[in-house]
Amino acid sequence: MRQGRLVATGAMLAFCLFALWQSLLLSLTDRLGPGPGFFPFWLALIGIVLSLALLVSIWREPRPATDASIEEVRILPHGWGALRCLAIVGLLAAVTIAMEFVGFRLAMLVFNAALVIALGERRWWIIAVFAVLGSFGVYYLFTTWLDVLLPTGQFGI
Amino acid sequence: MEALGHLLQGFAAALTPGYLLYAFVGCMLGTLIGVLPGLGPAAGTAILIPLTFSLDATGAIIMLCAIYYGAMYGGTITSVLINVPGEAASVVTCIDGHQMAKQGRAGSALGIAAIGSFVGGTLATVALVAVAMPLASLALKFGPAEFFALMVAGLCLVVGLAGNNMMAALLMTVIGLLFAMIGVDPVRGAPRFTFGVEELYDGIGFVPVVMGLFGVAELLLAAEKRQTHMVEAELKSWMPTRQECRQSVGAIGRGTVVGFVLGLIPGVGAIVPTFMAYVLEKRVSKTPERFGKGAIEGVASAETANNAYANASMVPLLALGIPSSPTIAVLMGAFIVNGITPGPFLFKEQPALVWTVIASFFVGNALLLILNLPLVGLWAKLLKIPFSYMCAGVLIFCVIGAYGLKQSLFDVWVMLGFGILGYLLRKLDFPIAPAILALILGPMMERSLRTTLEISGGSFAIFLDRPVALALLAIPVIVIGFLLFKPRSLAPLRESDIE
Repeated sequence: MRQGRLVATGAMLAFCLFALWQSLLLSLTDRLGPGPGFFPFWLALIGIVLSLALLVSIWREPRPATDASIEEVRILPHGWGALRCLAIVGLLAAVTIAMEFVGFRLAMLVFNAALVIALGERRWWIIAVFAVLGSFGVYYLFTTWLDVLLPTGQFGI
Repeated sequence: MEALGHLLQGFAAALTPGYLLYAFVGCMLGTLIGVLPGLGPAAGTAILIPLTFSLDATGAIIMLCAIYYGAMYGGTITSVLINVPGEAASVVTCIDGHQMAKQGRAGSALGIAAIGSFVGGTLATVALVAVAMPLASLALKFGPAEFFALMVAGLCLVVGLAGNNMMAALLMTVIGLLFAMIGVDPVRGAPRFTFGVEELYDGIGFVPVVMGLFGVAELLLAAEKRQTHMVEAELKSWMPTRQECRQSVGAIGRGTVVGFVLGLIPGVGAIVPTFMAYVLEKRVSKTPERFGKGAIEGVASAETANNAYANASMVPLLALGIPSSPTIAVLMGAFIVNGITPGPFLFKEQPALVWTVIASFFVGNALLLILNLPLVGLWAKLLKIPFSYMCAGVLIFCVIGAYGLKQSLFDVWVMLGFGILGYLLRKLDFPIAPAILALILGPMMERSLRTTLEISGGSFAIFLDRPVALALLAIPVIVIGFLLFKPRSLAPLRESDIE
């Protein structure tokens, strides 16, 4: 936990430093008053001070006892939990790419089936019904009833 | 009197079949979201935003508000039946509510919770009617300096009261504000931090961000725990006895006052009023030893305070344009998506909309009472939905919500990125609420500050010449100073404190 917080705060410090550099490329003031870089510059500066203070504060926190359980120290998921999280993230990324080419309906059909299987469902007929309802059914509901445009892909499906 | 006239006109609109239907659907969906453990009101409201894309602004806001207070009530059902709070504010309800369920009095607990929620919500809305307009009229006299100070005060109160780690909460606020800087400069129109990416010219979309931080992150956290589904609970009747009603009258009254007063303060969070009302009830009770063993006053006070808080937290949003919690920030985002800027001008420029929405609060509270008493058994059955289907269903809504607003797949990537970020930040105990509020208030804060400095010729001394702005800026200094150097005994309230 402590190590994770240090890394996260370090990343935020880097983000603030980057924002400071970028804001300096914009004008801080002009003849009308504060320019586009003014507010982000001061924010980034405050962010740098805060992240440094937080880094020091976390650094001074007591280190976890050697007999602390792995669960207390571990940040990232592991075992089945990690696989389930990876399945969600991976399938979400895949469906985002796929929607551009094959459209919402086909991409969601595969996504729904793959996700419920990855999360432990094995009854094929329930998976099939859910996948169809969650893709073609949802598409019909949103485009026809709710006037929400959804991607149709390169084949117009 | 003027407010009453507006309110009556609001009722005339809110009671039309279309808006009644939106309130009804919102209450149903909100309760459903509240019932499902892991999906709180903020996540629920965020993922259901796409349902309102095709509605007119008033209808969309009515439905989203109904989802919000529906979700606040829905969490009660799981708290009572299976000792799992559907959302954080229902944690206190578990204490006596589940004990009552174990004694075969689940119906009484749920019944009194529905009645208390109705009374608390309705009375808080009455108070909202009385308070909101004068507060908005006062705020109309504010200049950009006062607005900037007000937003700083609101953000700092949220930082001070919502985060367990003050420094981390402040840093998260700054990070949220920096993300809000992406896009076209609101004053001069110059692009900032866009790196030539066309999609970033409009800034980072609020809807994909909240869907990621709340929806996707919640699912990742649940997936990691290998959550399957909950057990079914038995439910015999849904009405409290006459004696139980008599016992609860005082608790409902006190819960309403506590919930309303705390709802006016940005950053308090829903769990604090429920806890305070519960503690107050235990203090005034002649038989405090019954608390924790199934005292109906415990359920009545917490649930009443919860809904009174939910309705009262609309006051700072509608009158001042300050969201007091992440869920209210999501609602504010929905207002903005629909072309409405909450704040004092709303009462002046769009009175029909704002009073229709306020009238719909009364209608929604009544609908919740009518719906929830007989449908408790049905809601309880929802707990049997396996996690795999719930996860896939929520993700479908997240994808549609992120994509649907601008028809941009880039926003789906933004949602995914913020989902992973939200998951990691939650695991590392970084508070997300301040970043969300900062993201939505960022552009307004910048505009106010820069206009103020343009008026003063770049001098910050203008804040010293404006007593209201100075007083408002003193609030965060005092709050943060107090919290940084507070005694250990006054540590912020956490869920674990109640357990």
